[in-house]
Amino acid sequence: MTWNEFIYFAIASLIFWIAGTLLLYKMKKSLAGEIFIVTGLFIFSLFIALLWSFLEHPPLRTMGETRLWYSLFLVLVGYVTYKRWRYKWLMAYSVLVSAVFIFVNLFKPEIHGTNLMPALQSIWFVPHVTVYILSYAMMGAATIASLITLYGGKKKEKELIPLIDNLVHIGFGFLMLGMLMGAVWAKEAWGDYWTWDPKEVWAFITASAYLVYMHAHYAKISRRDALWILPVAFILLMITWLGVNYLPAAQGSIHTY
Amino acid sequence: MGSQSKGKQETALIEIIIISAVTIAGFALQFVIGPLDFGILVFPVNFILGLVLLLSIPLKKPEALKKFGSGKVSVILLAIITVMAIYMGLVPGNDVKHSWPFAFVYLMCMLNLSLAIGKRVRKFRLKKDYGFILNHVGLLLFLLAAGPGSADMQRWFMTVTEGKTEWRGERSGTVDPVELPVAVTLLDFKMDEYPPKITLVDKTSGESQPVKRSHFLEVKEGNSGIISGWRVTVDSFAYKPMMAPVAVLTAVRESDKKEIRGKVSCGNYFQPFSILDTDERFCFAMTYPEPEKFSSHVEVFTKSGKEKKGVIEVNHPMTIGSWKIYQYSYDNVKGRDSETSVFELVHDPWLSTAYIGIVMIMIGSVTLLVKGGKRE
Ligand code: HEM
Repeated sequence: MTWNEFIYFAIASLIFWIAGTLLLYKMKKSLAGEIFIVTGLFIFSLFIALLWSFLEHPPLRTMGETRLWYSLFLVLVGYVTYKRWRYKWLMAYSVLVSAVFIFVNLFKPEIHGTNLMPALQSIWFVPHVTVYILSYAMMGAATIASLITLYGGKKKEKELIPLIDNLVHIGFGFLMLGMLMGAVWAKEAWGDYWTWDPKEVWAFITASAYLVYMHAHYAKISRRDALWILPVAFILLMITWLGVNYLPAAQGSIHTY
Repeated sequence: MGSQSKGKQETALIEIIIISAVTIAGFALQFVIGPLDFGILVFPVNFILGLVLLLSIPLKKPEALKKFGSGKVSVILLAIITVMAIYMGLVPGNDVKHSWPFAFVYLMCMLNLSLAIGKRVRKFRLKKDYGFILNHVGLLLFLLAAGPGSADMQRWFMTVTEGKTEWRGERSGTVDPVELPVAVTLLDFKMDEYPPKITLVDKTSGESQPVKRSHFLEVKEGNSGIISGWRVTVDSFAYKPMMAPVAVLTAVRESDKKEIRGKVSCGNYFQPFSILDTDERFCFAMTYPEPEKFSSHVEVFTKSGKEKKGVIEVNHPMTIGSWKIYQYSYDNVKGRDSETSVFELVHDPWLSTAYIGIVMIMIGSVTLLVKGGKRE
């Protein structure tokens, strides 16, 4: 199995995932949709397994190969989270992001020796980034829900605050996993798990801002007032993700590849 | 960030006063004696601190102290630490992480955690509390190891030549080598490289063409591609030991079929580079090959008599006794032909504490995924 066959497996998986997600929305029972999604996962994993045996090493060396794992894990974790929490939109969202990675692989493969610097060639690379993407998805949704609640009057509060709390706690779980995998990886690559590199500083800021939200009720801050923390925290999250490279304090960061 | 306390609601005045006083004391110390020297935290100071925080968990505490383990206190501390970290992230060249106020707030966080855990442990109910315990005990252990524990960390750099054995290391920033309890024999240093690339360079600016979306062609014999309006073919490619990579190119401009042919090389430490001019302003040039992997075959010994043979690579350090040895660098000038390898030797007695903490928080994070935001 080589990359030449990727298109067939990718399109087949995508069709199953999209159809499965649509079925989740359309049908009362989720069984049919779930079968479709699992079948898609199986087809996609099969391609990775076959490619792996063809290459005789785990396909983790090029950007293209890395994206392959994103595509799989996004749908896998999206599905597991759906099983637990029944958020259909999350299933749809993970299929969408996974599709983006699949199309990047189809149209701009970079499957031949994109120069992955030695420090990035680690088994932690893929899970580290994947859980962060999931965390961002959760926190993004929580932020939107918090704005709806803040501007939508008291009526929405009852329904949305439990949802927001769920999203933030799940998102924070993913955020912590991402950070700690990053720490273990940094230990393996650079000899230290935490060096206050600018990206790490901002990841820390983001995490502590969300912790303020998660602990806010102890300080007798009303649920509604506490919601204001979420848009602020989300801006900090965006700085961590996209903005750090532009900050004056970040010149010389190890994360600016 | 929300309102900390609103008039009629019960405020945490005493806690706020104490936290402010300690933080201000930190600023005063910073002002008077300058940054915190982590040296004062070395064993046994950090160890005793850890012992006190951990062993006191199950003890019954006086009411005044208990107050400091409240969720209210945690919110105040977290808010302060967020603000300090934002300063750390925004102001270039600051050293917040080595400052007294930061260290004091960090310490108060650990105290708050220890007391909060104590409260829970005293009325522990597995089903209700396991998530809280995993997250907070894990975090306390991690904070101990990463903060005060880091004072015990030793990091040494060691440069070893192929075929030689080295016992001496240097701390970063110093030049006096010191004999270490670990020795490294470098049997062989090997480096794999990605193929170099051809690109069209503007000699006046040094920029690859087209600007911002530069085209690159991987140098492999027979490889062919379009670079900024030219069809470029690699006719031959040679890369011998101790020699710079040399390629012979044929380039045909697509607009007028103008053809040029010639040698291109990025040069190395004793051979000059060569470029292929297309006109006065532009030329084809070769990028330096980038490292794909560098690995050192080594034999390692410790004073205590341990011996180990193996390969050290980036992301694959070698552990011997309580030391970890990392591939750090090599002779950058010679690149692939480097005959030396630079290692970083790290001794961190708190590493297992940190890892126990990390694993506990990881499991704790999974409980967050499963439990969500349900509150008792
Ligand atoms: C990994 C990071 C953290 C997570 C996931 C986390 C999560 C939580 C959760 C979910 C609760 C509510 C527990 C429950 O109701 O069962 C809680 C309570 C609490 N947390 Fe955290 N927290 C974290 C970090 C911190 C930090 C850094 C501090 C201290 C500065 C802290 C101090 C507290 C305190 C004092 C309580 C209240 C305990 C009580 O009064 O019973 N937490 N935390």
